[in-house]
This record gives sequence, structure tokens and C-alpha cells, in this order.
Amino acid sequence: MKDASPKPAPGKDGAAEREEVLYSPRKKLYVRAVTGVFARWRWALVWLTQIVFYGLPWLTWNNRQAVLFHLTERKFYIFGWVFWPQDVFFLAILLIISAYALFFFTAVAGRLWCGYACPQTVYTEIFMWIEQKIEGDHNKRQKLDQAPMSGRKLAIRSAKYGAWAVVALWTGFTFVAYFSPLSELLHSVATFGFGPWELFWILFYGSFTYLFAGVMREQVCKYMCPYARFQSVMFDPDTLVITYDEARGEPRGTRKKGIDPRTVNKGDCIDCGICVQVCPTGIDIREGLQYECIGCAACIDACDQVMDKMSYPRGLIRYSTENAIKQHWGSKEILGHVMRPRTLLYGAVLALVCVGLLIGLASREPLRVDVIRDRTSLAREVEDGMIENVYRLQVMNMTEAPRAFDFSVSGLDGAKIDGESRIKVGAAATEAVTLRVLVPAESGKPGANELAIDVKAEDDPALKVHEKTTFLFPR
Amino acid sequence: MRKWILVLWPSFLIAALAEGVFFTVIDPQELYLFGQPVHYSAVATYSIGFIGFWLVCAASSLTTIFLERPAREVNQPR
Repeated sequence: MKDASPKPAPGKDGAAEREEVLYSPRKKLYVRAVTGVFARWRWALVWLTQIVFYGLPWLTWNNRQAVLFHLTERKFYIFGWVFWPQDVFFLAILLIISAYALFFFTAVAGRLWCGYACPQTVYTEIFMWIEQKIEGDHNKRQKLDQAPMSGRKLAIRSAKYGAWAVVALWTGFTFVAYFSPLSELLHSVATFGFGPWELFWILFYGSFTYLFAGVMREQVCKYMCPYARFQSVMFDPDTLVITYDEARGEPRGTRKKGIDPRTVNKGDCIDCGICVQVCPTGIDIREGLQYECIGCAACIDACDQVMDKMSYPRGLIRYSTENAIKQHWGSKEILGHVMRPRTLLYGAVLALVCVGLLIGLASREPLRVDVIRDRTSLAREVEDGMIENVYRLQVMNMTEAPRAFDFSVSGLDGAKIDGESRIKVGAAATEAVTLRVLVPAESGKPGANELAIDVKAEDDPALKVHEKTTFLFPR
Repeated sequence: MRKWILVLWPSFLIAALAEGVFFTVIDPQELYLFGQPVHYSAVATYSIGFIGFWLVCAASSLTTIFLERPAREVNQPR
């Protein structure tokens, strides 16, 4: 069990294992696979996030792609909603919600995001699974790395890199399908007639998936992730983190199976090193909380299995808090400390912003009208003592049905629209219209007067907009 | 290699942010290039915009790490 101790093996083998990769001298990790409760949770989230990610572009809704951030049209389709650039407010709210959710979960239970749901973790998990299936377990992988190049090694390596490339390309393709309609992309696949930029982004995202999940792995978390650097500000002594129970484990050491460790003056840690072997970032959790720990709980799963084999109680490494370890709290006291000013504050802000978002979405009027005064002709006297002002209206129909809208004006006596007062706007489209408004000269004072333009959908009286503008009389 | 990542990675993140904010506010069809309306496709404009932002941010990062060299390094005898 000593083969994968954290210290580099001495001698020339050790030198060969140290590769000058990408960022800093790095000892290549041969992560041992792990099974257990938390590994199952992680796999459940891998499945969930990836079914959503790979699956969403294939869903249709209202005869179009259900989720599409259509860049060319500058419209975001999300199921029943169509968002326009004017709705950037909702995007800002969504970002605030994501940030506070991250703060909240981090304060309660540490790096849950990193350990279970972050794409870096998820794709690394997938890529490591492929590696394990093709090259074998961690010992076989290390042997293969050290073996001289041979036909067998070449075949195994090509199979692994090939499988990774397929997953990476598929991921890049899916990513682009969120921004460029999938139907068009599929057509491009059939004819291999990709636009140069679509192809560029598929390869770009694909190669970064390959590089991050296949080659760089824990280095992304250790050296590139900003969150890893500032997560500690959200931690406090009541935050659940993965903890080694030092009081119970030390002094660590080997012993015969079946003897009471206290009789040989030892703690429960048998120093098998499996917690280090399974760690995707290659740290030793027994040295305490470290910023490299992504909170994946692989060491908990691994240690629990060892404890079972030794017939010791589980949980030598477990989710616990700094206070709980110091004061030997049980799960009841830990849960009692989940509610504290920090979490209550994060939770309250999170709940408030979520409610705000829901109210905003529910009261969002899917019709928007911009009124711009025509600047070339301010005010003009026409026949019958009427004054004419010209407006340019941008009517944005944000619904997915073509609609006809009626215009009417109010606010000045005898105000009326000259000419067409009706416009048809296609589904999720914008139409510009020029509106000529006539008002009797005696209805207002010289200069600016208030005028209101009402726009109403013909088939849905609830869909209307009341826009205020000014009407100019000559001085 | 470490320096390359320090230059390219933070600039990538900030360029993504800048791209999002810039093109939310500005329609690529409204842009002018040397007095002529931009005639590239929208996807091309977005892509060139992103790469442009990335280059600018990377130039800034590069200057930062260049100026960050301690005096000891600059004063090294030739």
C-alpha cells in the first residue's frame, strides 16, 4: 500500500514521474477509484448535469428549440419565454442568485459545488472513468506510463485519447448548439458545411474540455480557479468541511487486525494511505483543511471502507465542523449550528432575490414600445387648423404568436391619428411604424404638451402598453 | 508555462465577461468599421469581438506581470 505515497519515490523513477507540466512541477497523480455513498452522489450529479447539458438542445417547444441563446437573432429562448437584450435585468438577477446560492451553500457545507457539480469535476470524473476502463486501475496506469513504447501501449493510448476526443468533440458540439440552432448544425454535420466560426468554437470548446478534464485536472482547481482562492472567506468554525478526526486517529500506524488499538497505544488511523491515493488533488486530508481540497469526499468513502474492514466505527474522516471536532459534538449539535447569522443573512438575501425574480417574470409584459419623436419635422401646421407631429414607433412583440396591434392617442382634446393606426408584428419580432398625430391648434399651449400613445393587441386586451411622449405646438 | 497561464487565463475570464456586457448593450449590426457598417455575420462579429477582448485583456495581464518583476531581477548583471 506504499506505492502511491505522497512523497515522490526516490531515484530515477521519481525523477521521471515529475513532469514539468503547464503550470508548476507536478507529480502526476494516479487517482485510485473509489466507491461509496459520496461517490454515488457525485455520479448521480454527473448524470443529472450531463443529461441536462447534452439533452436540452434536443428538446423542442413551440416548434423551435426549447433552450437557445440565439446570437444571430439576439434573442434568448428558454421554454415559454423569449428574452430580448432589453431583459438584461433578469440576467443580472440570475447572476446575483447564483452568487448568493454559492455563498449560502459554501457557508453551510463548504465546497459542495466543487465536489459534486462543477463542470471541472464532472468532466474529470467522466474522463477518469474512461481512463480506468481502458487502461485499468491506478497501479496499471502507473506501470503503463513507465513502460517503454510498444505496440500494446500505443494501442491502449490511442484508444484512450480517441475516446476522450469523442467526448470532447461531442461536448463542444453541444455547447455550440446552445448558441446556434441545433437543426442548422445537424444539417452542417450531414454536409460538413459548418460555418468557419461554428467549427472554430466547437473545436475551441472541445479542446479545452480535453485539456482541462484529460490533462490538467486538479491543476485547474489549484492554480486557475478564482473560487478556490476566495472560498475561505465564506467559511467559519460552523461550516461543514471534510475533516480528519485527529484526536481519534492519532497516533497513526500499522497494527495487527483485530486488536484494540488502545492496547498498543495507537489511534484508529492505520496509515494505509488510501485517503491520499483516492484524492483527486493529491493532498493528505490528515494534515487539516487545505485550499486544494475540493470537498469531493472521496477520502470519506475510502476511509469508511477501511474502517469497516478493521471493524472500527466509520467516520474517522467525515463531514464535520471545526467547533464540532473541538467540542465533540454529535450531528444534532452540528445541525443546530447551521442556522447562524451568516447563513441566515445569505439565505434571506437569496430568498428575497428569488422572489423578486419570480415576481419580475410573472409581471413581465411581452410587449414593448419605444416612441421616438421624428426630429426632422418638429411641428407642422396642416389644413383645418390642425397641428401635426410625427413619431417613430418600435413595436416589439415578445410573444411567439404574430399579432396585430391598434394605436390610439390621448391626453390632448381632439387628438387623432392620421392614416394607418394598426400594425401587424410577426412572432417574436420588431416592427417600426411612422405615426402621424393631428391635434387641433387650440388644444394645447405653445411648446411641449403631454401626449400618451396606447398600443393594444387586437386579440388580447390585457396585452397593452401606455407610452408617454410630448407633442409640440409651434410658438 | 506558468506565466502563459497567468496571462491567458484571467484575460479569458474577463474577456468573456466583457463580451457579455458589451454585446448585451450593443447590437453587432450597429457597429461601424472604418466608417462602413460591419458586414460580417453576427457570429463572426461576436467571435472577433471576443478574441479582440481577449487580446486586449491579455496585453494588460502581460504588462502587469512584466512590471511585477522585482528590482533584483531587473538589475541582474549581464
